[in-house]
Amino acid sequence: MSLVSVQGLSVTFASDKGPVAAVRNVSFDLNPGEILGIVGESGSGKSVTCRALLGLLPRRATVGGRILYDGRDLAGAAAIQAVRGREISMIFQNPASHLDPLMTIGDHVAEPLRFHFGLSAAEARAEALKLLESVRIRDAAARMDAWPHQLSGGMKQRVLIASALACKPRLLLADEPTTALDVTVQAGILQLLRDLNRESGLTMALVSHDLGVIAEICDRVIVMRGGEVIEAGLVRDVVTNPQHEYTRLLIGAQPGRLPQMAEPQEAPAGLFELKDVAVHFPTRSGGMVRAVDGVNLSIHKGECFGIVGESGSGKSTVARTIVRLITPTGGRVMFEGKSVGDLAGADLTAYRRAVQMVFQSPFDSLNPRMTAQQTIAEPIWRHGLASKSAAMARALQLMDMVELPRSFATRRPRALSGGQCQRVGIARALALSPRLLIADEVTSALDVTVQAQILRLLTRLRKERDLTVIYISHDLTVVRKFCDRVAVFQGGRLVETGATADLFASPSTGYTRDLIAAAPDMDQAMAERA
Amino acid sequence: MNSITFIGRRLLQIVPVLIGISLVSFFLIMMIPGDPVRIVLGPRATEAAVAAMRQEWGLDRPIWAQYLSYVGNTLTGDLGQSLKFRVPVLDLVLQYLPRTMFLVAYVLVLSLPATILMAVIAARNEGRWPDQLIRVISILGMTIPVFWLGVLFARYFGVKLGWFPVSGYGEGFVDHLHHLFLPAVSTSLWLAPLLTRNLRAALIEQTEADYVAASRAKGLPEGYIFRRHILRNSVLPTLNLLGVMIAFLIGGSVVVEIVYAVPGLGALMVGSVLGRDYFVIQGLTLVYAIATVAITLAIDIFTAAIDPRTSE
Amino acid sequence: MTDVVSPAPVHPAAPRFRHGTIEAALGAALLLAWLIAAFGAGVFAPYDPNALDLVAMLTPPDAAHWFGTDHLGRDVLSRVIYGARIDIWMGFAGVIAPLAVGVTVGLIAGYFGGLTDTILMRIVDITVAFPFFILVIAIVGVLGPGLVNYIIALALVAWVAYARLVRAEVLVVKRLEYVQAARALGFSDPVIILRHVLPNVLGSITIYAWTDAVMVILAGASLGFLGLGAQPPTAEWGVMIADGQPYVLQAWWICLFPGIAMVTLSLGFILVSDGLSRRLRVSA
Repeated sequence: MSLVSVQGLSVTFASDKGPVAAVRNVSFDLNPGEILGIVGESGSGKSVTCRALLGLLPRRATVGGRILYDGRDLAGAAAIQAVRGREISMIFQNPASHLDPLMTIGDHVAEPLRFHFGLSAAEARAEALKLLESVRIRDAAARMDAWPHQLSGGMKQRVLIASALACKPRLLLADEPTTALDVTVQAGILQLLRDLNRESGLTMALVSHDLGVIAEICDRVIVMRGGEVIEAGLVRDVVTNPQHEYTRLLIGAQPGRLPQMAEPQEAPAGLFELKDVAVHFPTRSGGMVRAVDGVNLSIHKGECFGIVGESGSGKSTVARTIVRLITPTGGRVMFEGKSVGDLAGADLTAYRRAVQMVFQSPFDSLNPRMTAQQTIAEPIWRHGLASKSAAMARALQLMDMVELPRSFATRRPRALSGGQCQRVGIARALALSPRLLIADEVTSALDVTVQAQILRLLTRLRKERDLTVIYISHDLTVVRKFCDRVAVFQGGRLVETGATADLFASPSTGYTRDLIAAAPDMDQAMAERA
Repeated sequence: MNSITFIGRRLLQIVPVLIGISLVSFFLIMMIPGDPVRIVLGPRATEAAVAAMRQEWGLDRPIWAQYLSYVGNTLTGDLGQSLKFRVPVLDLVLQYLPRTMFLVAYVLVLSLPATILMAVIAARNEGRWPDQLIRVISILGMTIPVFWLGVLFARYFGVKLGWFPVSGYGEGFVDHLHHLFLPAVSTSLWLAPLLTRNLRAALIEQTEADYVAASRAKGLPEGYIFRRHILRNSVLPTLNLLGVMIAFLIGGSVVVEIVYAVPGLGALMVGSVLGRDYFVIQGLTLVYAIATVAITLAIDIFTAAIDPRTSE
Repeated sequence: MTDVVSPAPVHPAAPRFRHGTIEAALGAALLLAWLIAAFGAGVFAPYDPNALDLVAMLTPPDAAHWFGTDHLGRDVLSRVIYGARIDIWMGFAGVIAPLAVGVTVGLIAGYFGGLTDTILMRIVDITVAFPFFILVIAIVGVLGPGLVNYIIALALVAWVAYARLVRAEVLVVKRLEYVQAARALGFSDPVIILRHVLPNVLGSITIYAWTDAVMVILAGASLGFLGLGAQPPTAEWGVMIADGQPYVLQAWWICLFPGIAMVTLSLGFILVSDGLSRRLRVSA
């Protein structure tokens, strides 16, 4: 018998434009001991479905349908309250915000034990220590009295898991548990979840946007889109033989399935030279953060140069140093024989036109008060390249170029999707006809299908406009497909650099090897499990 | 970093503020349009009298020297002489201060329980009628002028019904409570709504915080989540506001002290302004500022004790 | 570092109901009514606000004097209507002067940071060390009583709230990528500050300013009441309440009506502020 049976679940949110259906007629079963993947892009209703199981939706949500747990109908607040924590528990996407900042780690784990099992403070504390050890928190005894802000993201997620599993629930709901984490940390958490499942038979539902993650640990998967389940089955069957057209699209958009877009050059000519670049920030307590240290790099004309690294690796700082948003505290950035740091006046203006940047967050990178057309036109007339009206006309052409319908010209960022915002950002960067385009995590906030479109667009623009591109990403699989050469950063230092194919085939440092191994990839995961 | 170094660093930050305060109160006197000596002595004063007074006040010396001796005097507790009462300003302050402090404490004792009660009721019933009712009350409370309410209360409860005295401070603790009841209530009717609005907003914001969802997922009961998590996290922003409000309250006490003829610092201040008793104005301004700095410091240290993040 | 990202909001951003519209409209209606009364005082007021009528002293409200007369026989209704001119003017001038100073300081301190920021924020620290009303009284005491000196005192004291608010917002906005993009595009600092930063911090300033107006009016009326603000015989609400204080037992109307006027005007400002902030929170 299935542990959980969801029958005709629907969730509707009240809004000022009338009710909005977030989940429509969703049915699925969870079998004891399995890991079920729920995959979908943003707005697919996957997280809402997950939250509905534990009654964690906001008050304005109306829930229809039936949820059976072990044959019992979870209708009404009391029935749900009875299973929360003891039978079903949940972990979330952003571990930092899901821990109370004013409560110690140990108390977080001990809290449900005292409540559900009535343990004394000392008993609960002893049990909490065991739980923290079981989720492999190093030196757990010493960390019992630590505050959440003193722990890294991965450690916080482990605390959240320990706290969720304190009362030995039979089902764990995991809502994008690794999305906010670095790849190597993600690999550790996924390993932990898999072990918990194998060792204690914990049933799990894993919600993720990433088929690579799902393929690594799930047995079955349901694919959601627009609030509906469009396909369900064993992960193997769905990946190898998708029935629904959207599933095929989703699988085809996986970074590992993208076509090879890199084109290494025959006779490279230098364009940029980073010589011993260092960026140090003083900290409040009088110390020094070495965001970037001793970096030597050369970037060739016309190539696509990838920079990969985890958070805190300094990859974004390097990008900002090249566009001169940050002045390096040591070393120099050389462009056409001149030191970028010394440019001023007309030279600096010329440099600004030659080097442009596209940013990570689709919405934050556009002024919310300006329309798409105004945003794209602004640099043209401010640089005196055309009158304001001519610039507005030119903006429309740029919209054509980034494949953004002209009917969107008068829309503000809030009325655009993430992918559309990124297209506006690209058009704005190209408005001054730069020679170098820096793309800083431009697709990491986007759905995979949109990511694939943006990558195709960038590849086309690169060829058409003879652009040099620096592509910064945490996603090794994308870099592998998209970049000619790669540099790997860690902790503010350049670990290694080389032609993409060579570097991936034979990484020369252990860190790069770990990074490559940790990157989730759907096909590789399937091959390993076979 | 531990809490001792935090307090030490916080104390160090106060030094420039104290210097700034001394500069402001020193230059306050310089802002007097015209010659203060002539204003004090009147138009018919002789040149000799004016010169003598200038020398007595040290106005013939360079300005930095005047400032240094001002700071020196202040540090030794010499805030100058009242022109009107002919006694040291410090003596006046010490005489009037306890009444204002009593009033402020009284207001806090009346306001805080009411605030917490109303904010919790409103937040736990967000959008429903108790919340709406408290919202209306708090909006009204913010718009009613304290002095107007004071005038009406004094005449109605004080004179007409004769329940409370309408002037003075009384003798002994119980008598103080009786005398200051109307002033404290009129001030509380303005303070409590302001605090309620902020605490309610903080509570509601915390109710929607992610860690609340996580606590619910663990099966913790709503009442417990509210007490143990939401309330604690809402105290911090409200505490900061309370610090600002106490400072505001010290200033706001001026009006009630006048309405109810309470012989406190505020009444002294207004009397000095109307009587152009410049050194009392200067001294009082300084005392008020130092009191505010002390309150802010106390609140900061208290916050640091509660919040593990501030002492990082 | 925010290298790792969330792909999508946890649940679809379902907007709430358009809260706040009714309040904002009600508040605006109250304000509009007072504005009309103030501008049309010559038309609406039945009497000259300063005309003494020693025969009709302390007359209770009747057909001839709807709000009664005061101890000098002046018509309270006319004085309340003319008083609106003073108190509304006080509200606007008393908000705009500190707002202009505070927004400028906040923009400069927040955007440029560094030593400029440190110095400006030290000045803010020093100013907030003085209780607001005390410093205003002290400045008015030194400069001399009167409305203009009150506004000057406000400009010297009340700007700190705006400066802090704006600086905090600028610190957030300045890290947003569209400001970084503007810098990378080579726009000058004034262009970035005025075109890209300022418009996006105006929302919260506006909301605060409406509430601030209430404080300015109440504090100004308090000064008038204490004899430090508008000077008699000016028909200012605070002054009128002070005038009526000795007679409140036999002639309650002298004090009551100016107070009600003040409450309704303040209510207008607060409702607008509340309505706007609820709407902003919904659409944010």
